Amino acid sequence: MNHNPQSSDGKHDDDSALSDFLASLMDYAPTIPDELVEHYLAKSGFQCPDVRLIRLVAVATQKFVAEVASDALQHCKARQAAVVKDKREKQQKDKRLILTMDDLQSHCASIFIGVWK
Amino acid sequence: MSHGDVKSTRDTIKSENQQRLSLGRLKADEFGRAVSKIAVAQICESVGFQGFKESALEALTDILVCYLCDLGRNASFHANLAGRTECNLFDITRALEELEASHGFPSASDIGHCLVGSGTVREIIRFVDSEEEIPFAQPVPKFPIVRNRKLIPSFEHMNEKPPGKHIPTWLPAFPDPHTYIHTPMWNERASDPCADKIEQARQRRKAEKALLQLQQRLVCNGSSGTSTSLATDAEKEKVQGGESNPFLAAPLQPGEKDVSQVVSPAKPTDEASKGDHVSMLEAFAPAIEAMKGGPSDGEKLHLPEKRAAVHFKFRAGKKILGEPLDLSLQKKGERGTTAFLRIEERDDKKRRAEFILRQTTEFPMELNQS
Repeated sequence: MNHNPQSSDGKHDDDSALSDFLASLMDYAPTIPDELVEHYLAKSGFQCPDVRLIRLVAVATQKFVAEVASDALQHCKARQAAVVKDKREKQQKDKRLILTMDDLQSHCASIFIGVWK
Repeated sequence: MSHGDVKSTRDTIKSENQQRLSLGRLKADEFGRAVSKIAVAQICESVGFQGFKESALEALTDILVCYLCDLGRNASFHANLAGRTECNLFDITRALEELEASHGFPSASDIGHCLVGSGTVREIIRFVDSEEEIPFAQPVPKFPIVRNRKLIPSFEHMNEKPPGKHIPTWLPAFPDPHTYIHTPMWNERASDPCADKIEQARQRRKAEKALLQLQQRLVCNGSSGTSTSLATDAEKEKVQGGESNPFLAAPLQPGEKDVSQVVSPAKPTDEASKGDHVSMLEAFAPAIEAMKGGPSDGEKLHLPEKRAAVHFKFRAGKKILGEPLDLSLQKKGERGTTAFLRIEERDDKKRRAEFILRQTTEFPMELNQS
């Protein structure tokens, strides 16, 4: 363990940043409701009376799902771009971005999930 | 596996869930999955998707639920490892690092660093700062709902002594003996039906007595009215406590009073006196003759000591002023008909009002019956 004054300052900054973040979490409303998160955490044995940690878990899950979805979106857009390359202009029909299983099963998304149904 | 359906709105998802629920195939955690589906749809919409395939949405919901459960399990594992039952921030951070270890996160290679400076947390902070806040669409109640079970009270609660010394008092009490022992039963309320009948008969008798009294009063009024009218032929009669009633009076004989031609009402009294109907005339012939011969008997008519038998017609329903008229006619066909001719000359409204007042104050039972 190095007792670098720089690292200790860094730690202090990290501490303050973290505590500020946790305080700001109380104002933030994650997309996943608290009740749902509490239900599944209780099912798996997680026990915590602090609401901020529940919000942290909710935000972490939201970030994870958003990453998977954005990966699928990139895949979907790439697919559409490939279609547009054809002679026919089917832009109007394929303008809508639809989430499909193919996109989810794309190479990018699958690395997130170990076991695929 | 891809389905051909495209569901693009949260509402359709919700309605589909409701449809599934209504079909009766309720699986465990159906509500939690439905809520997660809505949350996932919102996240996808924020990312940029405009529509989903049903199967893809369900898969993503599964991913969310699995991730949540994994996170919770890892965090609780780390807490237990440290000898605690409640998780704290560092347990969550370790769990996050573990889950993201497969695809890497910043500062993953830093071993022995303080968890406060963990890359995962920093990334989460960055995520919160960059992404706009999307609250959940609907208010979610606290679930699952815990039902309060009604426990069987113990011997202590019931203040009962357990039947055996070997049974401690904190155990649930035995059920009451009447639940398992058949004892002979007797009907404690056997006399009640008789009492009810007696009460009913008493009330009927009371009603009959009241009606009888009423009839007596009417007869008295009629006879007293007769005496005064005989004394004064064309003078106005005095009010006798409002007992006389123009409706009690027999109608005028034809030709006695100059009145305009009026359609005779369908009343037995009118018909009897005017003699329009032959059948009525025949029926009341002896009465009419007695009436005609009435005034010649004397100034005053005496009430007979014994009254003739009265046959009451008990009519349920409205109490019309014409009713007593029938009663009185049945009773005294011979007496005081000419008196009625005079009574009609009195103030009609006054009589009627006083009669009604009397009826309501003196015979409340009749009012109840009617």
